[in-house]
Amino acid sequence: MLNLDKIRVDFNILNKKDGVSPIYLDSACMSLKPNSVIEAMNDYYFNFPACDRSLHKLGSNVTKKVKEARELVAKFINAKSIDEIIFTRNTTEGINLLANSLDLVKGDIVLVSDKEHNSNLIPWLLLRDKIGIEVKIIPGNVDGTFNLDNFSKLISGVKLVSIVHTSNLDGVTNPAKEIIEIAHKNNALVCLDVAQSIPHRKIDVQDLDVDFLAFSGHKMLGPTGTGVFYGKQKLLEKLTPFLVGGDTVEFSTYDSYKMLEVPEKFEAGLQNYAGIIGLGEAVKYLNQFDFEDIKEHELKLNTYITEELKKIPQIKIIGPENPVYRSGIVNFYIESTDMHKFVIMLDEMANIEIRSGQHCVHSWFADKKIYNSARVSLYLYNTMEEAEAFITNLNKIIKIL
Amino acid sequence: MPCLIALIVFGIMGIFSASHRALAKEAFDCIFRRVTFRPCNTGFQDKIKGKILSKIIARSTFWAKMVNKHYEILSWVFFILMVGSTAYVFYGGYNFYVYGSCNGLNESGFCAFDPKGENNKTTTVEGAACGITKDSEENLTLDGVNLEIFSTINSDSEDTVVFIGCYDCDYSRKVYPDIMKLIEKKKPNYILAHYPAKGDTMFLGYAGYAVRKIYGEEAFGKLNNYLFTADKEYILNKANLNAILASFNFDVKKINDYANSPETKQMVENEIVELNKTNLYGTPTIFINDKVFVGPKPYRVYNSAINRFIFF
Repeated sequence: MLNLDKIRVDFNILNKKDGVSPIYLDSACMSLKPNSVIEAMNDYYFNFPACDRSLHKLGSNVTKKVKEARELVAKFINAKSIDEIIFTRNTTEGINLLANSLDLVKGDIVLVSDKEHNSNLIPWLLLRDKIGIEVKIIPGNVDGTFNLDNFSKLISGVKLVSIVHTSNLDGVTNPAKEIIEIAHKNNALVCLDVAQSIPHRKIDVQDLDVDFLAFSGHKMLGPTGTGVFYGKQKLLEKLTPFLVGGDTVEFSTYDSYKMLEVPEKFEAGLQNYAGIIGLGEAVKYLNQFDFEDIKEHELKLNTYITEELKKIPQIKIIGPENPVYRSGIVNFYIESTDMHKFVIMLDEMANIEIRSGQHCVHSWFADKKIYNSARVSLYLYNTMEEAEAFITNLNKIIKIL
Repeated sequence: MPCLIALIVFGIMGIFSASHRALAKEAFDCIFRRVTFRPCNTGFQDKIKGKILSKIIARSTFWAKMVNKHYEILSWVFFILMVGSTAYVFYGGYNFYVYGSCNGLNESGFCAFDPKGENNKTTTVEGAACGITKDSEENLTLDGVNLEIFSTINSDSEDTVVFIGCYDCDYSRKVYPDIMKLIEKKKPNYILAHYPAKGDTMFLGYAGYAVRKIYGEEAFGKLNNYLFTADKEYILNKANLNAILASFNFDVKKINDYANSPETKQMVENEIVELNKTNLYGTPTIFINDKVFVGPKPYRVYNSAINRFIFF
C-alpha cells in the first residue's frame, strides 16, 4: 500500500508553502517530478556539465552516470543487454526512429489499432504517402477494448504491428502478450508504445518477447525531452539509422565511415545528459514501489470518480464502464459541449488541473464525431481528497450548465 | 461578440500588462478568424467565459447559471454599455480639454480629470463664499452692459475678452496670469473689470479708477498686474496703499484726492451696476467672444475659446 504522505513530500509542487498546490490530475500528459530527479539534473549542471566520453574527470563522470541510467532502464524493463536501450527525446522519436530505420518498402503492411496516439499513426501514414506502405487499422470493440479476432484476421502478411499498450484515450491496456504471440506466429514484428503503461505497470520485455518498444520519460516522473527506444539487439543491428552524424561513427574519411555499434549508432549528436541522468533517477524512484500498489491505488480513485460520474446523466465515459479496464484514466464528455470550459473552470475554481481536447487521438474523435473530451489521469501521488474535490467542483459546474 | 469586447478591454489593459497583451492577441486571433469565416479555434471564448463563471460560481450558483444561460445577451449589453461609456469618456475628455470640465461648460459635476473641481471654483457674489457653485451660466450675458466705461485695450481686435475678477478672491488671482498670457499672445480687445466680491477692496477699486483716469490704461494695467499677483495680505491693508502707489512713481496725493472724490465713487458704483447686469454669480467670470467661463480654467481652455478651430 502506498504511503501517500511520504510520497507527496517528495514532490515540491505538492507542498507549496502558500497553500495553493495544484490538484494535478493530468499525469497521462505529463507526470510531476520528484525532487530527487530535479536534484540529479541540477547535479549534472552544477558539478559536471561536460560531454559523454571526454577523457577528463568531468567527462568521465558523465559517461559513468549515463551508463548507470542505461543500466537502470535496462533492468527496469528487463532488457537482456544495456545495448538494447537507445535514449531518445520521447516516444514519438522512438517510433519515428523505427519507421525510418526498418527499411520498409512499397507494399509492406503495418498494422495499428483504431485509437493510436498521433505519434504511432502519423509516421506510418507518412511512409504510406512517401513509399507506398500499407497501413491497416484494427477495429476495436465498441467499449474500446482490443478485438483479438479482428487482429487475427488482419495479421497475415503484416510486416510490423505497431500498437499502443495502454491507450491515453481511455486507459485500456491491450493484451500485448497475446498480440505479440499471434504476430510472431505470422512472422510479423511488434513495436509497443508503452508511454502510458510503463509509469503504471511492470513492463518485462523478455516476458512479452516484444521486438521494439518506445516510451517517454516525462510520463514516468522523469524529465521532459527524454525517452527510450528498446529493440532486441539482433534486430537493432539490422536497422539502418536515419539520424546520423556526431557520436554515431567510429571514424570517417572524406568518402567513407564506420558506424558505431548499437546503441551509439542511433544516438546522433550530443545527448540530453541531464535528462538521461534525471530519467535514471526517475527509474530509481519508481523502483521503490510495487506496481501492484500503484495499480490498486489508481483503481481506488478511478472507481470513486467513475461511480460519481455515472450519477451525472449527461456525462459519457469513453472506454469500458468498469474502471478495472481503464488504468488511471477517466476520459469523459458531454454531447454538443466543448469540454475546454470544464478544464478552465476547474482550474480557476479550485486549482484542479485536468486536460481537455482530443488528446492527440484525433483519428478516433473524427471517426466517432465527438468534438472533444475532458480527461482525468491519476498517478501515485493523487489522493482521495483530490478526487473528491474534483467531483465536488465538477458537480457545481454541471449545475450551472 | 465576447471576443470583440475582450479585444478592446484587453487591448487597453495590455498597454500596461504583458499577460493581458497575450489575451488581447488571442481575442484578435478569434475575431480575425470569425471575419474570415473560420471558426474561432483558440478556445478563447470558453477561456474567458470559464474564468468569469468560475468567479461567479464561488459566490452564487444561481447567478452563475444565469450568466451562463444568457452569456451572449449579457455580452451584447456590456458591449453597448462599453461603447456608450467609451463615447462618454471621449465626450468628457473633449469637454475637459475645451471647457476645463468633463461635464461641459461651467458644469460642476464630478470629473475624473479634475476630481476636486478646481476648474469650477469661484468666489460667490452673494455671501463671498469660496468653492464650487451650482448656478447656471445661462443667464450670464454682456447684452445691455455698457463696456465702454471699463478699462479697454486693443479695442480694434475682432476678439473680445472680458475679465471680471476680485483682488481678494483666490480664484481670480489664480487665473489672472493665464489671462495676461492670453492677452499678450492673442492681443484681443481686453476689458478688465474689478468686482468686489469678497472683503473690503473698494478702496483699491477707487485707487485703480483714479490711476486709470490720471495715468491712462497702461498704468492701470501695470497696477492690476501687481494687485492680482502681489501678497494678498499686503495689498488689502489700506495702510500700504500709498506705498504701493509710490512704488509705481504715481503722484500719491493726486491719486488719493481723485479716488476719494464723489465723482470717482459714483463711477465705480456705476461699474458695479453695469457688472451686475451680466448676472454674474461668482468671480472670476471671463467672457471670451460668445462664451463665458466661470472659475479658474486652465490656460488651454481660454486659448481654445479664442482659437478659430480649438487647437489653432
